[in-house]
Order: sequence, then C-alpha cells, then structure tokens
Amino acid sequence: MQHVNESDVAGIAQYVRIAMSDEEIAKMTVDLNNIIDSLAPITEYDLSGVEPTFHPIGDISNIMREDELKESFSQEVALENASRQEDGSFLIPSILGEGGDR
Amino acid sequence: MMNQMTLSQMRQGLLAKDFSSTELVHETFRNIEEADKSVHAFLELTEDAALETARVVDDSITMGTFDEMGILAGIPVAYKDNMNLLGTHTTCSSNMLANYVSPYTATCVQRTLDEGAIPIGKLNMDEFAFGSSTETSAFGATCNPWDLSRVPGGSSGGSAAAVASGMVPATLGSDTGGSIRQPAAFCGVIGIKPTYGVVSRYGVVAFGSSLDQVGPFARSVEDAAVLMNAISGHDPLDCTSQHISTDFTAGLADGIKDMKIGIVPAFMEAKGLSDEVKSKVEEVIEVVRSQGAQIVEIDLPNAQAAMSAYYVLGPCEAFSNLARFDSIRYGYMDPGHSNMDDQYDFSRAKGFGEEARRRIMLGSYLLSAGVYDKYYYPAQQVRTLITQDYASAFEKVDCIIAPVAPRTAFKMGEIADPSEMYLSDMFTISINIAGNGGMSMPVGLGSDTGLPVGVQLISPAFKDENMLKVAAALERQYGIAKVAPAFCADAKKGGE
Amino acid sequence: MQKLEDVLKKWEPVIGLEVHAELTTLQTKMFCNCKLEFGAEPNTHTCPVCLGLPGALPVPNKAAIESIVLAGLATNCDIEKRSMFYRKNYMYPDMPKNFQTTQGPIAFCMRGHLDLSVDGKAASERYAIDDLSVGEGRENIVKTEDGYTAHVGITHIHMEEDAGKMVHIGGGEGRIAGATHSLVDYNRAGTPLIELVTEPDLRTPEEARLFMQKLRQIYLAIGISDCSMEEGSLRCDGNISLRRRGTKEFGTKTELKNMNSFKNLHDGLMYEICRQAEVLDEGGIIYQETRHWDPSAKRTVVMRVKETADDYRLFPEPDLAPYDLSDEFIERVRAKLPELPDEKAKRFEEDFSLSAYDARHLVEHRSTSDFFEACMKAAGQDDAAKLSKPIANLIINDVAGWLNSMGDVDLDDCALTPERAVKLVGMQVADKISSKQAKEVFALMIEQDKDPDAIVAEHGMEQVSDAGAIEAVVDEVLADNPDKVEQYRGGKTGLIGFFVGQCMKKMQGQGNPKIINELLEQKL
Repeated sequence: MQHVNESDVAGIAQYVRIAMSDEEIAKMTVDLNNIIDSLAPITEYDLSGVEPTFHPIGDISNIMREDELKESFSQEVALENASRQEDGSFLIPSILGEGGDR
Repeated sequence: MMNQMTLSQMRQGLLAKDFSSTELVHETFRNIEEADKSVHAFLELTEDAALETARVVDDSITMGTFDEMGILAGIPVAYKDNMNLLGTHTTCSSNMLANYVSPYTATCVQRTLDEGAIPIGKLNMDEFAFGSSTETSAFGATCNPWDLSRVPGGSSGGSAAAVASGMVPATLGSDTGGSIRQPAAFCGVIGIKPTYGVVSRYGVVAFGSSLDQVGPFARSVEDAAVLMNAISGHDPLDCTSQHISTDFTAGLADGIKDMKIGIVPAFMEAKGLSDEVKSKVEEVIEVVRSQGAQIVEIDLPNAQAAMSAYYVLGPCEAFSNLARFDSIRYGYMDPGHSNMDDQYDFSRAKGFGEEARRRIMLGSYLLSAGVYDKYYYPAQQVRTLITQDYASAFEKVDCIIAPVAPRTAFKMGEIADPSEMYLSDMFTISINIAGNGGMSMPVGLGSDTGLPVGVQLISPAFKDENMLKVAAALERQYGIAKVAPAFCADAKKGGE
Repeated sequence: MQKLEDVLKKWEPVIGLEVHAELTTLQTKMFCNCKLEFGAEPNTHTCPVCLGLPGALPVPNKAAIESIVLAGLATNCDIEKRSMFYRKNYMYPDMPKNFQTTQGPIAFCMRGHLDLSVDGKAASERYAIDDLSVGEGRENIVKTEDGYTAHVGITHIHMEEDAGKMVHIGGGEGRIAGATHSLVDYNRAGTPLIELVTEPDLRTPEEARLFMQKLRQIYLAIGISDCSMEEGSLRCDGNISLRRRGTKEFGTKTELKNMNSFKNLHDGLMYEICRQAEVLDEGGIIYQETRHWDPSAKRTVVMRVKETADDYRLFPEPDLAPYDLSDEFIERVRAKLPELPDEKAKRFEEDFSLSAYDARHLVEHRSTSDFFEACMKAAGQDDAAKLSKPIANLIINDVAGWLNSMGDVDLDDCALTPERAVKLVGMQVADKISSKQAKEVFALMIEQDKDPDAIVAEHGMEQVSDAGAIEAVVDEVLADNPDKVEQYRGGKTGLIGFFVGQCMKKMQGQGNPKIINELLEQKL
C-alpha cells in the first residue's frame, strides 16, 4: 500500500535534516511503504478502553532532584568535540530562518 | 590458558598470586592482538588506563587490601561502543561519531570501574544499535568466533564475540529488542537483559529510551551474577532507574526444585523457528523438568503484536534521540557549507548509515500529525496488553523458557532485506516492550549447523534472580560456556 | 495609517498572550545541576545534559516544579496532579537535543485567570463602554467608577526549558539576516522556563500591558523570577487578530515577537492592530505569520510565514517519569504563597482608608507598596489615617515617577526615607507648604540628602497662611487689574486662575492657595 509518496518522503527528509538525492528518495519511499505495511497489525487491534503505557514498568512518578549546584564542564571541555569554535562559542554557518515557534 | 578463565577463576588466581594483575592485563592485550585480527570485536583499546588500574590492583594485593578493591578487582572488562568512557572514543560504530571523545563516563561503566574492573576497550556494534548482525558497523563487521564467515549477531556483536573468543571474561552490552540476547545466543555465551530500570542508562547512547537496557555478557552464571551485582541499582542521574539491592549471586546453588517454569506453545509453533533450535528448547525443558521444576503451559495472547509495536516505538524514540547529532557540538560536520541548513543536511546524510537514516525517517513519519494516532498511540496501548500478558503469566510461573533467535548464526551478507533481519528478534522483542528481564543461556550446539544455540529465560519484572537460578541449573547440565574452539590456547598451538 | 481609536470603531482586536518567565531565582537548570547565571563567559555552565551529549539523561529540578505550582496557585489555576513531560521535536542550533522538553495537553497549571482593573486613560482604549452603568457587565468586563475590570482567562502554565543563545556575526544589528556565521552559547540552554498562555480575552493594547504588569507583580511577589524584560527573563509574545465589531468568528492571527518592554508590548500591539485594519479595509488578507516588532522603526516586520501548522512530532518524554503530585506537595507549596498584590491592595483600602485606585497603584511595584507600609509605620497609629491619602499620592505621583526616571534605584538605600516622606507630607497637610512647594522640596530632598524641614527653612519656603498678609496682596492684584475684574464679574469666572497666579507671583509662591482663593472669591 502507498502510505507515503516521494513528495512526502522529501518533506520528511527536510524536516529531519537529511539530504537525499532523487534516487535515494525513491528507494526510501519503497522501503518506508514496505515497513509501514508490516506495521499493519498495530492498526487492526481492538484497543478500545486500553490505556497506553508511555512509561515502562516500575510505577515510578514524581522523580525530582534537589536544586543543588554541581560542577560544570570547563569551556575547553565543553568545546573539545566541536568541529568549529570561536571566542568560547560553537561556530555555525549562517542560519536561513527562524526555528520552531521562536 | 588465561583466556579460558572465567571472571571467578581470574579472581582466585589473583588472590592466590598465580599471576599479577599486570601480567593478566599484558596477557589480555597480547591475546586480543592475536585473536581480534580475525574477530574484529574491538574498536579501541585502553591499554594505558588498564595498566594503571592493574598497578593499583597489584598494590592492593601486596598490601592485603584486595578485598576492598571491589568485586571486579583486576577483572578485564570491555564495553559496547555506545557507552561513554571518559577519554575514549564512543562511536556507536557510526561515522557520525568517529571523532567523538567522551568527556564523561556512563554510570554502568563507572560502576564496574568502582568495583576495580580493568577497562580493556570499546566493542563493535551495529551502527547506533540498529541491527542484528553487527554488519552495519561503519568500521567493519565483527565475525562470529565459532565460524568467522558468520555474523556474531547484534547489535552487541562485539560484546558477545569478545567473550566467546576468550579475549575478555566479561563485557557490557545493551538490548533494545534483543541486542544482548541474540548475539549471546549466536556466540554461545551468557547475555542478560535485566528488567528495565535495574541498570542505569545514564551515559549509554540512547536508541529507544523506553526499551534500552544495559546488561552483561559472561561465560558462567556466577560471573554474570557478579556483573549484575556491580552494575545494578538506583542512579540519581537516570529517572527511570530503580532502587534495587538484590544479590544476584544468592541462591544460584539452590536448584529449581518446585520452581514453576512456563512454556509458550505459540512460540514453539512459530513460523521460521528452525528445527535445531526448537529441539534444543525442548531438550532444555526436559532438563529443567528432570531437575524437579514443574512445567506449565502459558499463553501470551498479544505477543505477536510486539513486533509491530516495537517497529513503531523504537524508530519513534530513535528519531528523536538521534536529532542531537547536528554537527555543532560534536559529531561529523560536512565541511564547506555556507549555510546551516546545508551543513545539517549533508552532515547527517553522510554521518548516518542507511539503517539509521531509514529509522529516523520512519520515526518521524510515525509521529507526524494524523499518523501518531494510527501507530504510535496504539503501540503504547499494545504495550499495556503485552505487559499485562506477562504479569498474568507470572502469576502462574516463576520463569519462562523460550527460544532466543529462530535460528543459529547466519552467514555474513546472507540477510539483506531489513524486514527479514527484523525477524531475528521475534522472540526477544516482547520482553523489551513489557520491560521485564530476559537472558540467553548457551546450551550446546545445534544438531544441524553445529553452531551455538541459546535458550531464552524470561523473568518477572524485578525478579531477574529467577532466570539466573534456572540458568545455574542449566549450567550444571551443560557446563560453563566454552571459548570458541579456534580461540582456545590449546587449539591455537595446533596452528591455523 | 489609521489611529487606534478609529480602527476600534469598526474592528474588534482579539489578543492572547504567551508569556515566558525564566525561573532565575533557582540555583540550577531544569534538568541538570549547572548554574543559572546571566552574562557568564560563554559555555562555562554546561554539562552532558544541557549540552545534549549522547547518553545524557534529564532529572527535573524539584524547586522548578514547586515554582510553577506556586505560579499556578497565584494565578487562580487548577493544579493538575497528573501530567507529563513531552518532547517537542525540531532542529535549531540553539537547542542541544534538537527537541525541547515541554509539556503536552495537560500542564501543571490549568484554567486560571487574572482580573485586571483598567482605569483612566488606559480604559479609554476599550471601545464603547460609556453605555454601561457602574457595576454592569458585558462579555468579560464590568464597568467601575473609574474604568472597568476585565476577567482574563489563563489557559495553562506549563513547564519547559529555555534554549541557548546565538550571536549572529556579520549582519546588521546582530540579526540573522545577512549574517555570515553565528556563535552559539549553551549557558542558557536548560534554564527552567514557565510559559503562561492566556485565553484570547484581551481587547486592547492597554489590557495586554496591564496583564503583563500584573503578572510581573505576582511573579515578583512569589519570588520565582527576576522578571527582567530587558535581559529576557520575562518575555511576551502576542497573538492578534481582528474581527468586525458584532461578529463572533475569529480572524486570521499573526504572532508578534520582541516586545521586550511594557511600552513595546503596547506599541507593538497597537501598530499591529492598525496594520491589520488597514490591510483588511483595503480588501487584503492577513497571513498567519510571525512578525517582529521593531521599536526604532515603529513597525512590525515579517519573520516567518506559517503555511501549514507546525508539526513538532510531540510525544511523551520516555526519559522522565510522569507526575502524580500529592496533596501534601501542593499544600506545602501553597504555604509558601506570600500576600499577593490584589490582597495587599485590599488590605491597604481597609486598613488605611485608601481608594481602590490608590491602593491598586501602590501595589503595582513591590518597592512602592513596601515604602508605603514603612511610611505608615513611621507616621504612627495616630497620623497614619490622616496621612495615608497624601502619602499614597506622593508615592504614586512623585516617588513612582522618580523611580521610573532613575531606572533601578533601591528605595532602601537612598535619601528618600519613610520618615522624611512623612515629614514632607505632614507639612503639606498642615498647610505649611503648598503642594507645588512640596514637589520642590521632594526634589531637593533627594538631591541634597537633607530633611524636608531643613530645606523649607533654608529656602524660606514656609507657606504664608496669615489672612491679613494675603488680603493685602489680593487687594493689590485686584487694584492692578480693573479690566480683568470687570470681565470676571461679567461672567468670565475662569479668570480666577489668573488672579491666583498673580497673587502667588507676588508672594514668591509661598501664599496658601486655599486662602488666596477664598479671599479672591469673597472680594470679587
């Protein structure tokens, strides 16, 4: 079944920020449709009245910590894995637009 | 012969001063240098840190304070490469993280170090743990020590192969849908996926946050239990970790008389289950029966929905967990782009392998508006049903016996279709969905392929000691898991 | 462009606010133990969690949860015991995990409200309420003596985390447009943030401003944030749409950003209302878009057009346990609730016989209400009742104005002490100085750090209340201006001001205006 077409896939690729050629999009479209087909059982269950389990077993709730300071990374350590840095900050090329709802 | 020693034997040897910790470490690295040429389990070795720790252990032996060093004092341990260890590369076998050096240490790793373990290195895996063969590693596949033309299973293939080849007596892996149990079965070693929350996930690169759990690989049940003791327990840095103070080594000798063991007829009839695995499971059922356990047939009516629930929940969580790899703070940056959008797009396109890209895309689709209600929400409802299935089954039994993988280790490159690969986890996935504990126990070789077969022992939630007891009973029958023949020191003398 | 008052005849603005407050009074971030500090060296307050390193996991700050519950209780919200965190997924360089940890359909605080008292000039922005009589209501407002009160619904207040900060290099004024590259600092990433969303119940820019002012007073009173709009610890976005008067259906809304002061909030909304009206009047359509208020250019500019609803792939955060807050937890927080501005105003009205107007304006700032209370204490029980009204006036008019002009002055640490204020007002009430002189003395007192009586003595400002002396001056003035006297007697009674002024001039401003007035009226 066609769940997603190539234009949908191109849209998803843009959202998840993965560059894809037309050929890759075509292949990904086939792959995704196959996988989504295989997920059909989940849509066929009678789940009326069944509560979802968003958090796995253990019945834990209200996990909180005290508002206490602990040591942070030094600036050097914070930046040590960055490909590019400048003046103690992470350097990125120009941004094209505003993100999210900010 | 050191490479065939279990953790417990090494401890005894150190105590008896048969060898020093430093000698053991040197021997370990010598052995790895030789064996890993063909297995390729290790991505990085931590020889300096290992020797430094060994000196401390040796000092403690000299000073008579060895007992204070911890329950893993002097024991060589290696870690799946999705576990942060300060100063080591933590690559997740991905080009995305090829150059990432951990500025911190995962809790599970730290706990082994706190118990005196010798850090040996980091182990190969399927990229970001997406896979069941370790073939998707960006740094080359790991080979099954029992047959180098075969896969070790995955995703913790390196962790299983390193133990099976006798390079180290103990490793840690992680299991999201079977990633500890299936490679343990393929490589003929013990692999435990504890109940979700027993071991902290802090510092372990997340795949499916609600499914991931860290666990040990070892060759003896006692070793595995010692490792469980070392790594389990509450971690204030992981909200989902639990207050556990179980001594997993206790009661291993108790036997299984009067234990109720469940079997799932539907699993035994499952399409794709090979005859040799099936007959091994049947054999094991007879073994436990002969040791006085009572066999009870149970039903897990919703288990067949686990597969599709897993392939919804896993990719959804993975999509979100892998969003942080954006080339800014760490990770692969594709050079030369004048705007951030292109830098994002090409860094992630080139940094992630095919399976990672596929799961990110799938997860993003499944969570999108309108689709969420069709797949993600029902999958979480199915999780409720499967959890209830296990809960009611465990009202009747103390442990369940099932297959781990439908067949023994397959050939490299044999399975190319991703959805066929997904079937490797058909018997393991429902346990991750429900969250309770499961382990793979080696029970000899398959009658057709002559390759190791594991059976799966499944525990009620937070009763992981149950499956260890049954494992101990099986070990009395089958013996301690052997190092793969080609890697026994004696065999090597015969020359390859 | 049309004026707001003209626009309002035809169009009804519908305004909702989204108010973000950083919980700056806490020690540490939302999900890790890194320090909260504004203005530190970049990337010196980070750790695996707030840098989003692979493998790191969040642990919520209990004090942050207490703070949001406190905020909810202070804004009449229902506290939802059961709620969860969610992941809001989108990629942006200032987001370390590329998802924001936030809440879903159920937030910690739901269904609250604030009642605004709108008076004076602020009330005049509300269109056509003259037909209402005092106490009469329409929609969410009720007419009062000096304006109206408006009931503004709060949809929810949810807990989330702030993003890092970016500096854009190479473009104009640090803006994204034209920048060659940007620098990212994650010190702010993970700062606990509470977002309050109002119902679309606001109808004028003044109401929006008053809502923000009142919310700020409350947040300051409960001590959860320093509420600095300048430093961005209190931020406000507005959603604005217009609908034709008399219709119910909402128009297309725009979202307005960068209103980082009360004035900008008011002016930005006013501009946007007028802009939308102009577009609609010309038959154009409003696009759903995000716009940026540019205070220097005094206009809003498009930041981003929303073609479709954003799809953030929201799903419950598996790394965080759900909440099921106990009654004890909530009651423990409730016990921390201080006297809120509304309650304080009520107490001022009752204890010091102030008008509702005075009481309301006194409690607009913590500093002024505290100062008022200190004055009342300094005045002593006997004088407090007599002096409360003039002291309130002094504070609302002179002190507040002075504070405004000075920016950030600490009232505890300046020349204006409660004792001096009481003395100053005491002299005025006893007719020793005129109100005009009182203002001069007030200014000198602050400037020279001297007691008011010393200043009065030094400058010979004692007010002349001797009727004989004043009468002589009055006679003189009347004699000097026979034509004006005639005009006055012919009906131009407005000339009284002229005569008073002339008398005052002759007395160097020291004549008691009340007596001058009386004598003038007698003689004319």
